[in-house]
Amino acid sequence: MTEFISGISVVCFAASYFVALGCEASRPLFRSGLRGAILVGFATAGFLAHTLFLAWRAANEPNVPLSSAFDWYLLAAWLLAGGYLWLLVANPRTQVGLFLLPVVLGLVGAAQLSSRAPFPQSPATQVWGVIHGSFNLAASVAVAGGAVAGLMWLIQATRLTRKRTPAQGLRLPSLELLAATTGRAAWIAAWTAAAGFVSGLVLNAVNRQRGLLETVPWNDPVVLRMGMLVAWLIAAAIATRAFARRPEAARVAAWLSLASFVVLTASILWGVLGTTRHGVPPTQASAIREVVP
Amino acid sequence: MTLAFVGGTHRTVPLALRERLAFSAEQAAEALCRFRDRFPGREVVLLSTCNRVELYAAGEEAAVPPPAEQLVSFLAECRGIDAAVLAPVLARESDEAVVRHLFSVASGLDSMVLGEPQIVSQVKQAWALAQRTETAGPLTGGMFQAALRTAKRVASETALGRERLSIPSVAVADFARGVFERFDDKRVLVIGAGKMAHETLRYLREAGAHDIVVVNRTADRAHRLAARLGGRPGRFDDLVAELAAADLVVSTTGASEPVVPADLFARAESGREGRPLVVLDLAVPRDFDPAIGARPGVWLYSIDDLGAACEANRRSRHREMPGALAIVDEETRRFMGDLHHRSTAPVIERLRAGWTETGEAELDRLFRRVPSLDDAARAEIRQAFERYAAKMLHSPLASLRNESRSGPPHGLLDALKRLFDLKE
Repeated sequence: MTEFISGISVVCFAASYFVALGCEASRPLFRSGLRGAILVGFATAGFLAHTLFLAWRAANEPNVPLSSAFDWYLLAAWLLAGGYLWLLVANPRTQVGLFLLPVVLGLVGAAQLSSRAPFPQSPATQVWGVIHGSFNLAASVAVAGGAVAGLMWLIQATRLTRKRTPAQGLRLPSLELLAATTGRAAWIAAWTAAAGFVSGLVLNAVNRQRGLLETVPWNDPVVLRMGMLVAWLIAAAIATRAFARRPEAARVAAWLSLASFVVLTASILWGVLGTTRHGVPPTQASAIREVVP
Repeated sequence: MTLAFVGGTHRTVPLALRERLAFSAEQAAEALCRFRDRFPGREVVLLSTCNRVELYAAGEEAAVPPPAEQLVSFLAECRGIDAAVLAPVLARESDEAVVRHLFSVASGLDSMVLGEPQIVSQVKQAWALAQRTETAGPLTGGMFQAALRTAKRVASETALGRERLSIPSVAVADFARGVFERFDDKRVLVIGAGKMAHETLRYLREAGAHDIVVVNRTADRAHRLAARLGGRPGRFDDLVAELAAADLVVSTTGASEPVVPADLFARAESGREGRPLVVLDLAVPRDFDPAIGARPGVWLYSIDDLGAACEANRRSRHREMPGALAIVDEETRRFMGDLHHRSTAPVIERLRAGWTETGEAELDRLFRRVPSLDDAARAEIRQAFERYAAKMLHSPLASLRNESRSGPPHGLLDALKRLFDLKE
């Protein structure tokens, strides 16, 4: 059994999600009684493999479990995949996977490009590190979920404006539900991103004060990007609330949620592809400091 | 002939005659009993709906179904109609055509509204009635079971019955449900007394709506309508306030000018606090100024919009026809193959019996000549004989089964009878 679990790779669950996405994409093209079973089967298998993969990594981590950028991306993907599976079983006729699964696969892809080395840790700042990571994870999931709901709102609203009946295999949730999801996601994203940013500042300050680990300079690109992301998310949440009692509130919230996703993606890409001293061990940080003063 | 059918539908029988021809459940049961007494040994099922009356008869060998003209006369007699009036408008079919017709009927392909689902339960009821009156048998039983299986396949493998075709159902299921997740916390405002308001409210109530306000130009009428529609009356003078409080409006007045012009709606809009509003304007001429539909948060659907959606759904259903017909064809072929194969059963039985009899005789002779054989050896030899017989019979029986797929295998059956000297 242990051998089986340790043999699960990212490719296993990514491939299962990909097959599930293929099934979802084929819904508007043709009808099939078998597709539903295949879809649920692959989505469940992917989620199970994903869960076992993370559990295995958590159990075999010498320090704090799941403490690399690789793990955090996979955790975010796991939460969204779990949400998708729940929606698939609770409401099988509603098409959500076509929008949610690409985000899940995108996060898995980002994980593959990220470092698997754990973030530098010291016992004194471990708790702050976990708080910082957890809030950032929650913010990322909220932004992604809100953007998916926002995109579906815009598609559904376009259909209703054009006075067309739902296309075969493309039945979306109601505008009411999607608008409520988008609005809640905007607030959750803003508060958790702010809490993540503040906890990151505290973590950095504690490290600096105690001289425990390499500190991240205030002008580090990731700090600046995260600061801008937090500012954007708070502004978007306030704007969403400000429009709440106006007829265009849902449309504004939908567009803002998409914009938030673009900002988040840019921030992630910067983190994955850019040069930073954020979250790297002291030896690497010194090397980076020589290249990028 | 094993299967026979006579019947008329909305396409061939005028409404006045269809009304006289229709059977109530009691009349149908009585007719089936009468058929059983008059044509003993035959099976019969009577399907009577508002759009069709059809008699399916079946029988084999000595009890083949009565000729079509006798079936027409029987129907005419049961309903007290002159057979000469009925004969020209009733269709007649036999054998495979009967099966194909029943499968099409059960799948909704022959219905007035293509793909309508009620016909399946009507077919089930007709068969159940025949079972209760003991006029159903193995032939009609197999045929009706296969018809229900065909209907199920058509429903699950095509989108024939998926799209809605009536304006109220499309308005609620495809549009109002696209905007609102639930209706039990929504206010429904009904303006006017048009016919479609009642039907639309039925769908809304099924969706959970219960807070219904009815307004009409005359208060007395509003009270009566509210009582009839299961809502509470509102004052027409309070239309602005009612519009501000409503989430969904069903408007069906007979007014010649818009009841809700843009300026009146603008006054109501300020009190809505941005809540979305669905307006189903089912009146002709329209009750709502079309410009209101361009306001943010307002989803306005006129009767033409909904009619166009229904028409699109109807076209979509027709596009599913080839797929549905292919299923009916496949199931018909399968059923007829089974039916033909069934007719070979007596010959196969006699063939097997002959082989078994000869084998047993040879075994007896062998065991008498070699009395030293113990029980285990005898059992081995017996099994070897049985295996040999089964292997020798396999090829002719497989040929019979294959031949049955394209029709009754009379030639092969005759050949087998002569080759193996099988007596009747």
